Amino acid sequence: MDSIRIRNFCIIAHIDHGKSTLADRLLEVTGAVPARQMTEQVLDSMDLERERGITIKAQAVRLPYTAVDGQQYEFNLIDTPGHVDFSYEVSRSLAACEGALLVVDATQGVQAQTLANVYMALEHDLILIPIVNKIDMIAAEPKRVADELTSAFGFRDDEVIFGSAKTGQGVEQILEAIVKRIPPPRGNPASPLRALIFDSKYDSYKGVIAYVRVVDGQVKTNDRIRMMSGGADAEVLEVGYFSPKPVSLPGLGSGSVGYLATGMKSVRECRVGDTITLHKDPAKESLRPYRPLKPMVYTGLYPAEGDDYASLRDALGKLQLNDAALTYEPETSAALGFGFRCGFLGLLHLDIVQERLEREYGLNLITTAPSVRYRVTLTNGKDVEVDNPAKMPDPGEIARIFEPWVDLTVITPGKFIGAVMELVTSRRGEFVKMEYLQAATSGSTTSGGVAEGGRVLLEYRLPMSEILVDFHDQLKSGTQGYASMDYQLAEPREAALVKLEILVNGDPLDALSLICHRDDAYWQGRELVSKLKDLIPRQMFEVPLQATIGSRIVARETIRAMRKNVLAKCYGGDVSRKRKLLEKQAEGKKRMKKVGSVDVPQEAFMAVLKLDRGNR
Amino acid sequence: MGARDLNITAPAPGPGPATALGLYVHVPFCATKCPYCDFNTYARIEDLIPDYVGALGNEIATWGAALGRPSLATVFYGGGTPSYLPPDQFMRLAHCVEAAFRVMPGAEITVEANPDDCSPAKLASLLDAGANRISIGVQSLDDTLLRRLGRRHDSKQALGAVREARAAGFDNLSVDLMFGLPHQSQATWESTVHQVLESAPDHVSMYALTIEPATPFAALVQAQELPEPDPDRAADMYEFACEAMESAGFRHYEISNWAKPGRASRHNLIYWRNSYYLGVGPGAHSFLPGVRFADLKSPREYVRRAGSLTPELANGVSWVEAAPDVVRALEAAGVIGSSERISRSLEMAETMMMGLRLDQGVGNAQFQARFGQNLAETYPSEIADLTRLGLLEQDAEGLRLTTRGRLLGNEVFGRFVMTAQPA
Repeated sequence: MDSIRIRNFCIIAHIDHGKSTLADRLLEVTGAVPARQMTEQVLDSMDLERERGITIKAQAVRLPYTAVDGQQYEFNLIDTPGHVDFSYEVSRSLAACEGALLVVDATQGVQAQTLANVYMALEHDLILIPIVNKIDMIAAEPKRVADELTSAFGFRDDEVIFGSAKTGQGVEQILEAIVKRIPPPRGNPASPLRALIFDSKYDSYKGVIAYVRVVDGQVKTNDRIRMMSGGADAEVLEVGYFSPKPVSLPGLGSGSVGYLATGMKSVRECRVGDTITLHKDPAKESLRPYRPLKPMVYTGLYPAEGDDYASLRDALGKLQLNDAALTYEPETSAALGFGFRCGFLGLLHLDIVQERLEREYGLNLITTAPSVRYRVTLTNGKDVEVDNPAKMPDPGEIARIFEPWVDLTVITPGKFIGAVMELVTSRRGEFVKMEYLQAATSGSTTSGGVAEGGRVLLEYRLPMSEILVDFHDQLKSGTQGYASMDYQLAEPREAALVKLEILVNGDPLDALSLICHRDDAYWQGRELVSKLKDLIPRQMFEVPLQATIGSRIVARETIRAMRKNVLAKCYGGDVSRKRKLLEKQAEGKKRMKKVGSVDVPQEAFMAVLKLDRGNR
Repeated sequence: MGARDLNITAPAPGPGPATALGLYVHVPFCATKCPYCDFNTYARIEDLIPDYVGALGNEIATWGAALGRPSLATVFYGGGTPSYLPPDQFMRLAHCVEAAFRVMPGAEITVEANPDDCSPAKLASLLDAGANRISIGVQSLDDTLLRRLGRRHDSKQALGAVREARAAGFDNLSVDLMFGLPHQSQATWESTVHQVLESAPDHVSMYALTIEPATPFAALVQAQELPEPDPDRAADMYEFACEAMESAGFRHYEISNWAKPGRASRHNLIYWRNSYYLGVGPGAHSFLPGVRFADLKSPREYVRRAGSLTPELANGVSWVEAAPDVVRALEAAGVIGSSERISRSLEMAETMMMGLRLDQGVGNAQFQARFGQNLAETYPSEIADLTRLGLLEQDAEGLRLTTRGRLLGNEVFGRFVMTAQPA
């Protein structure tokens, strides 16, 4: 198709604001397939798909659309990950489009993440079509939400489309807006091939499937291609698009969106953001400067059962085939034995990986406290990066420590400003600015609703380490669940940080070491040892627990020696039952981790995630 | 797994085929069920008593006949509340035992009794039936605690029962006490111990309260209506008792038991020495060479199944040789509800776990004689670790718990139990 009638777009929406429903509706209305039947068809054709070698979800769907002007158009709807952890992926998806549907829930209004994605879309010069969704809901406030859209992003009133993806209301209007407002792709069909990889998935039959937007030139089956930054070469085994089932084609031309089956073994060779060109006629410049993903959050992952080390290693290896951002390297802990230090894009990424390891691979894991990556300038002038508190050099060798900061955006109903302020300042945060998304006095009639006191956009700057543990939960609970947040990496800053270490019976419990601000070391130390006192069972001997900074003790507790543990009654002849009771006790003890001669249960290693800030 | 018959572990050289057995006779009836108790006992099934005694008598007869009327060194009527049985029914039971087994001259015949049953007439009937040792469930001499424990007697009745039992002619008398009870103070406990000593028993058992799963007490603890037992306070009470009993001339011969010279419970010593015993009645446990087993638990079902057993005479073999066939037959008849093969290493571990409860501990010579191997060489690392922790002591005679080890017995027993290989 002539690229003049191609429209490449994505949907920007907060979780549950209706992205999937709208996508289904677009599929249905353009006649691709009814949403329900589509699911059935996909399931029915599973075997066929396996044979064809493509078993994975469509990341971009092609929709044929006959517009009111009678012309046939090719729509390419590109999926975007919904979370800030994957903002780089989001930015690559946006880079493959000329426009975006901005969907906002009429009962909720603009959320922090939506805001971040909109700004990113604007940076990529995308044309935005604002849509107020779910106007059929009783709690809908379409006028208020439209006001928010116009005041936050400067849309004109007549640009906003009101609709309901559920009922189909407004969908025709949206389709026509796509034709009329979003420009066709630009690119040069005669230039050497340049195709942007906006997603890649590993498939066990066809190797890595690259989802691409062809900008210049064209790509065909059997072409030999090259990753311009990664440097790897591959042969194109198959070219095609999803509609939503895979449809193979002889080739993809300039402006078009589709997939390439590459036969590559890992997504690491075919990374999101890289530019594909032809081996024999390479382009001179890649599309955009390629930025490899860098983990921002690190944690130690250890098998609860030492025997599972090899299984954990294999599982991480398999996950990495499909997750270019996940890093891991072997690490040992005196307390936890052999494990891995793993790097993640953010906390959600960490959660996803951890959950998949536990659910899909049946592993029982101990996770150490998440840490950011610190840049440490040593007294000898060298710079080192530290992502594991246990590896922090001695205070005497450290000249300066820099910690990563983030720009934090919070959107909240006005009545919770105080709660948000308090939370952020207690985390060493700095206030940057505040803006009303909508005037407090605007005509909303919902009593006690979301909009009471107007909705406010708050911007802060704070150390990234401060949002790693329970910040989001605290934000939600302080705002009755109404606030949303988003963050972007900011410039690192020098800080007065110390390493807090926990000694159990004089032996360091390395897995519980943490880096914190000097002013927080005392209460964190106190909290940690008092939590541990409850979590570590009494031993045969008295066990002192100490929190230390270097050689200075900042908190101390003592676990008194166990005095009595004996079955009183051992007659009546039921020896088997008594024996099994003892076996159970002894096995429980065997599952604990040895720190020196002290048995420490697994829960103790999670203590650091549950520090009660109320006890500061 | 398939060749079940080939899978029978040869029994370890036990206490010897000639050894007399102990017999435990279970009486699952109680006037009321105490809220801490998880024994297989029931209130308000008194209608079952006559049939029950009949069926139990039949099981006793079956064992006696099939094992060739072996000798009994001890008989223990426990429960439940044996003293709750009407005198004629108790007498019926005692006759069955004497007819089916050779009760050795001088055998210890214990009956458990609740203070509220200890009328002179009831006590006389127990003696008439051959009982020569009584174990009275005093539990406490604090009336508030007794009520909380759901007991039917008060402290006056309890001390009265001890007096009456003496007067009736029981010259071997034991008292059961409980400590570490909810809201029990050290002072109350000390007073109970002193008063019990004044009543001059021959033997005292003292048990720290254990919250057993699925009892009303467990539910109350769960609901935080009852405090969880505090092991430190229980330890204080225990340590007081150890001193008081020793100064009163009692030997602390087992973790929870004290006796005047020569008055240790011979029946319970069979358990602690890991010797063989037979238990009859629903839920009663037995240990015969190479196998532990228990009768099914439901009294009604027990009456049906044990009642239809047909006693068959053994043909001249020793009880040790006859036992496996009888166990199989009773399993087939559904009277035995569960059983477990005991491997050699399990038997060794159980010998340690039970024997170390005694002040004598486990003797080198006895261990060597029973298992044909040396105790110290069997458990070198366990003995080294536990000795270093101050929980075990070893000398030329054998191995035993230290004073501290007695309160931390599970830490010791657990180590030995973990060495055992299943059958």
